Amino acid sequence: MNRTLIDRVLTSRGRLAERVGHLRDIRKDAEEGGCGVVGFCCSEAVAGRHIYEPSKQMHNRGNGKGGGIAAVGFVPKQLGVSRDVLDNYYMLHIAFLDPGVRSALERKYIEPYFEVASSCELDKVDDWQSVAGLEVCPPDVCRYFVRAKEPVLDAFIKENQLDGLDRSAAEDEFINQNSFKLNQEYYASLGEQQAFVLSHGRNIMILKVVGYAEAIVKYYKIEDLCAHVWIAHQRYPTKGRVWHPGGAHPFAGIDMALVHNGDFANYHSVSEHLKQRNIYPQFLTDTEVSALLFDLLNRTYEYPLEYIIEALAPTTELDFDRLDPDKQKAYRAIQATHIHGSPDGPWFFIIARNIARENKYQLLGITDTAMLRPQVFAFCDGEVQVGLIGSEKQAIDATLQSLSEDDPRVCPVADRYWNARGGSYTDGGSFIFDLKKDAEGKIRIGCTDKFGAAVPLPTASQACDFTAEVDASELDAQVITIDRLFDSKGAVGVFEYVVDHIRQWTYEDIRAICRTISRLGAEKRHTSVAIDALTLLNDRKYSTGSKKRSHIVHLQLTELYRLFRGLPRLGADAATENHYRLVDFDNRDALCEPPEEEAVLVIDASGFPPEGDDCDAAVLKRAFMKGWRRFIVFACRGQRYVGCGLGPDTDDVTIDVYGSSGDYLASGIDGLTITVHGNAQDQLGQIIKRGKLVIHGDVGQTFMYGAKGADVYVLGNAAGRPLINSVGRPKVVINGTSLDFLAESFMAGDPLTGGGFVILNGVRCNDDGKVIPLEEPYPGSNLFSLASGGAIYVRDPEKRLVDQQLNGGAYVALTSRDWDLILPYLEENERLFGITVSDLLTVDSRERHPAEVYRKVVPLASVVAQNLAGTDDTAWADEHLELAAD
Amino acid sequence: MARCSAQENSLKEILPENTLRTRVAQTQVSREVRPAPGRYRNEIAKYIIRRNDDCIRCGKCVELCPRGVHVDKPGYKYFAEPKLDRCIGPACEKTDHYCVAQCPQSALRMVENPMMKVLGDCRWPADMILATWKMAETGDVPAEEFGLEHECGATGGGFDRLRFKFPDKPPVKLSPDEIDTSIELNKRDDGRPRITIDVPWYGGGMSFGSVSNVTQLSKARAAVAWNTFTCTGEGGYMERMRPFDDHVITQVATGLFGVREETIQRVPIVEFKYAQGAKPGLGGHLLGDKNTIAVSRMREAVLGISLFSPFPFHSVYSIEDHMKHLDWIKHLNPRALLSTKVSTPTDVDMVAVGSYAAGTHIVHIDGGYGGTGAAPDIAKKNIAMPIEYAIGRVHRFLEAEGARDKVTLIASGGIRVAQDMAKAIALGADGVVVGTSELVALGCVRCSRCESGRGCPRGIATTDAVLATKMDIEWGTQRLINLYNAWYKELVEILMRFGMRSVKELRGRTDLLMHLDYSNDVKAKS
Repeated sequence: MNRTLIDRVLTSRGRLAERVGHLRDIRKDAEEGGCGVVGFCCSEAVAGRHIYEPSKQMHNRGNGKGGGIAAVGFVPKQLGVSRDVLDNYYMLHIAFLDPGVRSALERKYIEPYFEVASSCELDKVDDWQSVAGLEVCPPDVCRYFVRAKEPVLDAFIKENQLDGLDRSAAEDEFINQNSFKLNQEYYASLGEQQAFVLSHGRNIMILKVVGYAEAIVKYYKIEDLCAHVWIAHQRYPTKGRVWHPGGAHPFAGIDMALVHNGDFANYHSVSEHLKQRNIYPQFLTDTEVSALLFDLLNRTYEYPLEYIIEALAPTTELDFDRLDPDKQKAYRAIQATHIHGSPDGPWFFIIARNIARENKYQLLGITDTAMLRPQVFAFCDGEVQVGLIGSEKQAIDATLQSLSEDDPRVCPVADRYWNARGGSYTDGGSFIFDLKKDAEGKIRIGCTDKFGAAVPLPTASQACDFTAEVDASELDAQVITIDRLFDSKGAVGVFEYVVDHIRQWTYEDIRAICRTISRLGAEKRHTSVAIDALTLLNDRKYSTGSKKRSHIVHLQLTELYRLFRGLPRLGADAATENHYRLVDFDNRDALCEPPEEEAVLVIDASGFPPEGDDCDAAVLKRAFMKGWRRFIVFACRGQRYVGCGLGPDTDDVTIDVYGSSGDYLASGIDGLTITVHGNAQDQLGQIIKRGKLVIHGDVGQTFMYGAKGADVYVLGNAAGRPLINSVGRPKVVINGTSLDFLAESFMAGDPLTGGGFVILNGVRCNDDGKVIPLEEPYPGSNLFSLASGGAIYVRDPEKRLVDQQLNGGAYVALTSRDWDLILPYLEENERLFGITVSDLLTVDSRERHPAEVYRKVVPLASVVAQNLAGTDDTAWADEHLELAAD
Repeated sequence: MARCSAQENSLKEILPENTLRTRVAQTQVSREVRPAPGRYRNEIAKYIIRRNDDCIRCGKCVELCPRGVHVDKPGYKYFAEPKLDRCIGPACEKTDHYCVAQCPQSALRMVENPMMKVLGDCRWPADMILATWKMAETGDVPAEEFGLEHECGATGGGFDRLRFKFPDKPPVKLSPDEIDTSIELNKRDDGRPRITIDVPWYGGGMSFGSVSNVTQLSKARAAVAWNTFTCTGEGGYMERMRPFDDHVITQVATGLFGVREETIQRVPIVEFKYAQGAKPGLGGHLLGDKNTIAVSRMREAVLGISLFSPFPFHSVYSIEDHMKHLDWIKHLNPRALLSTKVSTPTDVDMVAVGSYAAGTHIVHIDGGYGGTGAAPDIAKKNIAMPIEYAIGRVHRFLEAEGARDKVTLIASGGIRVAQDMAKAIALGADGVVVGTSELVALGCVRCSRCESGRGCPRGIATTDAVLATKMDIEWGTQRLINLYNAWYKELVEILMRFGMRSVKELRGRTDLLMHLDYSNDVKAKS
């Protein structure tokens, strides 16, 4: 769009605002914190009930005062219209808080302007109170398929001198302005709100309630309504005793719906930026402003998506310097224009779009530059493709689980899970799923980052048929082999046997083997070996040939859970010889003392609430107080606080966690060992004191904040802000990397005299299970900032780290004392993850001297401190701080 | 031990054995008021009596003075330094024992102590400091003849412009023992203990590092005596605090220094410090010089390095993160009440109601008038909403949201004297947190050098081994017990004048207050 036209569009909006008497002062109504957000897209149109489970999973991220969902890409038949109408007509969804105004509204805002191809009132449940999770009666919603009448549009174009504008763009603008007027009259200007536009795009629908998002699915009976893209939002407004669904997310732009997790600090500045462009919010939340901003950049300025993302989440610091000069030039111009309109503070957007012009649907997630909100992306490739975005991994897992129950072609384990690095030169802090028709007219999903680079996915493509039953004859053949291995070589023997053969085996063979292991595990003498063997298959990375690793993981997890669920239930069978006991939500009250010292309590977490007195972590704590020391927690669905609250000196306790483990796991532990068999979520290991934490995957935001100690091993990456404000003696091995702000304000003494350190290996395992270096050991702009103690040992043979990443730190050479210190941790790392010390020391196929491979980062401040040491008051401290022994 | 055996048993059901093993017998401290004179030989006084060479040591002044200002020790050539803090100054002129007038040699002269011009500041004028010392010494409000203004400061704003509108005579005649000054800290019906404190205040969080262990322990012991609480701040939980566990609030603040599962499990109340009213948005600072061996050991940090607590909780960027944070502490300690301490931004009302919704028991709003010398002036005087506005705003908002009777509202930040406390309650708080007043009771002169070097020259806010031992725990305890007693008496007096049987009746009674800028009441203005 050229400049004149942009000006004319903006001027037309200004006239409009004047005409409807919009209040021009900037207000913000509801104070909001974070929320729960999830979105997914699927190459097949999938039913609304699949947004139900993930929404429910996010209950504790909302407070039931606002929920919403949006869907894009419908099936024409289900809506009772033709393909042509669905593709070309605007789907106007209007919420009537007061159904009495409907005919007047239609007479004023619909009939005069639009050609209506079809309209209907959305079906709903008769008694709203019968739907759990609703606070007030949801509005009646009417759907109209409309196009602007030709003469009306002509007049609009003429009045606003938009002749040069593409006619469809002019129609978009007309729709937009009509909705603005409608909202102003029936919603924003009134004390008593009567009606408002939910959404006004093509092939897109938004629904909102005062309640939890999943209630929408039930209330409007859309369990079976199919669409390609779904997003949902659980809101947590803090103000007001009366809420209106108008304030709930998602918010609409033309052909788009946006949900937001966070709260910007500069709402007023962003609003001012919009006001200068004659755009006025009507619902007074920062999410509406976000949607308006995106719509402005997209529809009025017609920026390509990359530039829109740059305007929202600017590239800064080292990341900016690492951009191409051309890109820097463009970005600098964008930042100069839009920095005041760039949301500042914690935010994460999920946006669903229908890009009619390019005949595609889109789902994207954008994180803020400082990465202050948690976010996870995932992709499931195959015949049916699924792309997912969530504030937490647990919501993604719940979606996949729900989808796979309907369609066995979808595996509940995604092929890849990853995080975005906000405002970065690597991925731009944003990932985009495009749903486009291929040559055969089938919708396929491509996933790219902000710069258009495709997200690498595992190359294996052979899918497993999860519906197939296990062949019993196959089993008998395997039992003898496995049984022998169990006795002779234990779990490792079984694991090696499987890994040696897995490339040649079919999925059926693998399933038979896993089933055999699981069956044999039912015998007392085999239980622990069977669990260990299946766990190794889950944890370790190895070549699976053309078979998908995610599918194999799902197979063996299914069998592992089968084994767990077959163990003797607590209380039911006191006479059993097995020392494992299963507890689930239903028999949690049967908790008693352990039958023997070595007894293992196996907790089926699936039925437990995520927190509170009845959560699985509380049961675990009660069991600990009754004398249990060994625990397995499986089938987690985001339950929090596992391992917390057991108190000091718990060295004899071990906890193994399977499934979507939740936030705050292992926070505060003092002595115990906790192993997470898979990816972990946010805020793990807060104030962790002592003990051991092993994570066979990635870990989320603010890992080990304020940690005091413990030995910690992470197979994958740690997201933003790991180890902030850590003191004491934490010793951490991260095999992947961290997004940014690693070990800020680290204060953990001198590693060579017992203080803490982080070993950052900057490697990953490729599809063949081989250890390969990441492109960069640490891409973030801030490493070890303001640290005063401890050290970071980075595997950086190429010397990719630069001084600019440091703020108060220095690179020093690795000494033999350093190597002697870290070697035992690397050896333990080798034992746990199979990443050998020799792998790590090998560069370009040659094993190097450690000093050539590892660099040490130390704080400059510690050098100063040693010269500053004051009078020695140790004796005084002993006397005056410690409790007298009396 | 016997007294709390029932409680110990119930603890067994909710806390792990290893935590309970660290529990020690809880110390009891008597509430009795005992004289606790200043710890320096010559306490700073408002007036000075100078004696010139004309004195013939006739001893008349010693005879005359009923307060024993003049001290003539037998066997000495000269008079000893007079006990000037006992002198009531010009108020004595009208009496028949005014030494200056009656000295046969006219050798005595009275002047105002020039130090009064430099001691304190507008918020804490010299009079108020001296009065607080008197309270800490005697357990009583200083007698009127001392002429020490202790109800208001000289800021010309804040609490200093607010006055109570007392009725001419009380509507009901009550005796002091009929007055209830206790408040309840848990108003949620959530199965957690319904903790009641005997007076509507508790001690503010000051870390070991910012103040000495002697100061912390004195505060703790006074809290035990008055059945209220003290707070550890965020510098770790000193082992020596354990005999007072039941009266300790431990802080989970943004630096997480010294916070361990075990320390959280020890206490009945856990406080989340999101911000301090004196320096909102600035986090915490402990400058390197105060980070001694003892401090660095408690915090497990590096010796001699300035320690910063970040300005946000990196794990909490939103309200649902806050809820998760609270749930975590609730999980660790199933008997703990939770307090959320926030500063007073313009949307403090929303923050308060959000915290309530997230499950906190106590909303603690900290205004900008408080803060020791460690808080930068630029912050102390310029950020955050004045506390007297914030209290009313939060109180009314909580009422409008229907949440007022389910949450305890505590105000802090510049509550200097009992009058301030009563005003804060009349504005809508349930109770207050005191900080600086306690330090003044321990001998603080408001020199505002808390942060520099090894800290306090009076050995209060210091970590220097030598300076800290200048103060004795027994003495410190007694000073605070006495201060509390004086406050208690003053509060009872105020309630009696209003004819109220309970301090709870005073809450939110803004109709009993007036603001001098908006009042024509000449009597009050004078």
